[in-house]
Amino acid sequence: MSLPTPIYDLKQFDSVYEPSEDTFLFIDALEADLEYIHSLRPSCILEVGSGSGIVITSLARHFQTQCLFFATDINPVACLCTKQTAYLNNVVVHCTNMNLYCNFKSIFDIILFNPPYVCTEDSEIKPGINRSWAGGRDGRIIIDQFLSQLKLFLSDSGVCYMVALKENKPYEIMATMKVLGFNSCIIKERRILGEHLFVIRFIKEGNLK
Amino acid sequence: MKLITHNMLTSKCMKGVTVGYPLKIQAVDVKTSEVDFNPEFISRLIPKVDWNVLCEAAESVGFLDDLPRELIENYENDVDFLKKAHRVLLEVDIINGELVCPETGRKFPINNGIPNMLLNEDEV
Ligand SMILES: C[S@@+](CC[C@H](N)C(=O)[O-])C[C@H]1O[C@@H](n2cnc3c(N)ncnc32)[C@H](O)[C@@H]1O
Repeated sequence: MSLPTPIYDLKQFDSVYEPSEDTFLFIDALEADLEYIHSLRPSCILEVGSGSGIVITSLARHFQTQCLFFATDINPVACLCTKQTAYLNNVVVHCTNMNLYCNFKSIFDIILFNPPYVCTEDSEIKPGINRSWAGGRDGRIIIDQFLSQLKLFLSDSGVCYMVALKENKPYEIMATMKVLGFNSCIIKERRILGEHLFVIRFIKEGNLK
Repeated sequence: MKLITHNMLTSKCMKGVTVGYPLKIQAVDVKTSEVDFNPEFISRLIPKVDWNVLCEAAESVGFLDDLPRELIENYENDVDFLKKAHRVLLEVDIINGELVCPETGRKFPINNGIPNMLLNEDEV
């Protein structure tokens, strides 16, 4: 089973995060975990901060009509871009412009997030393209907001995948998540120019799958 | 915005809002677009849907047609029913309009089929 890179075109969308090493690492990690994802028989999959939309679109192409796909982004232009990427690849992704997942009433079987993880001054977290990378102190401001609410939005047998950087202290994140009732493991790791990236998988404790 | 999304959205993260559900729809431009029909998937999805909210939303945009307001028994085997459910959940598309918070009246614009639920800093 594989997840080929979807077609995309950012020409009209200049404030959208261009798919980069982290994006492709994320797709590779999901591809490697595809058998597990299938075993969950997901019906609703959400990508938070979808940017260009290629991550959620790659899953939408794979699962077709067996599942629904949702995407959020805080940047309105990214939502438009995600919608276009889905369209270019003949799939549907339901996009909403929102902060993380705060406006959802329902829960998801799979939640994906490649967050703004770069360590910056908190004041650099400001609208537009900055939002795609600026993570504030330890690159953890948005990550921590996201993880602290995960329990409310993930189904009991669900799984969450998130990208992190070494500077975000992934082992500390995993220890914090343990306290919040999640088992975590690193499913992919890659050193690229100047960045040591991880993909972490979170599962609710008590979920034996 | 498809009605499945409407079924899942709330304004409860706004300051002073307790439930924020369901949001009212004020549609300006509604279209339908054909989406591949998977009856097995639709019957798996239905238990997750708030059926009353779906019917009211469909009615408010003029697309309830003859969809039963009560979920029928054994709908898993009723392809005709599943097809109608598929249509209101996934094919009716609000392109432009507004979602309205039932408690505060705060309006959230829908443009190009995408709802904008973002709040100002003083609203959270
Ligand atoms: C590193 S980019 C990843 C984009 C895309 N998922 C990818 O992998 O190429 C982070 C994305 O998260 C979005 N984002 C940042 N903060 C957010 C928030 N609080 N809520 C929703 N999206 C957010 C950014 O606008 C950006 O599109």
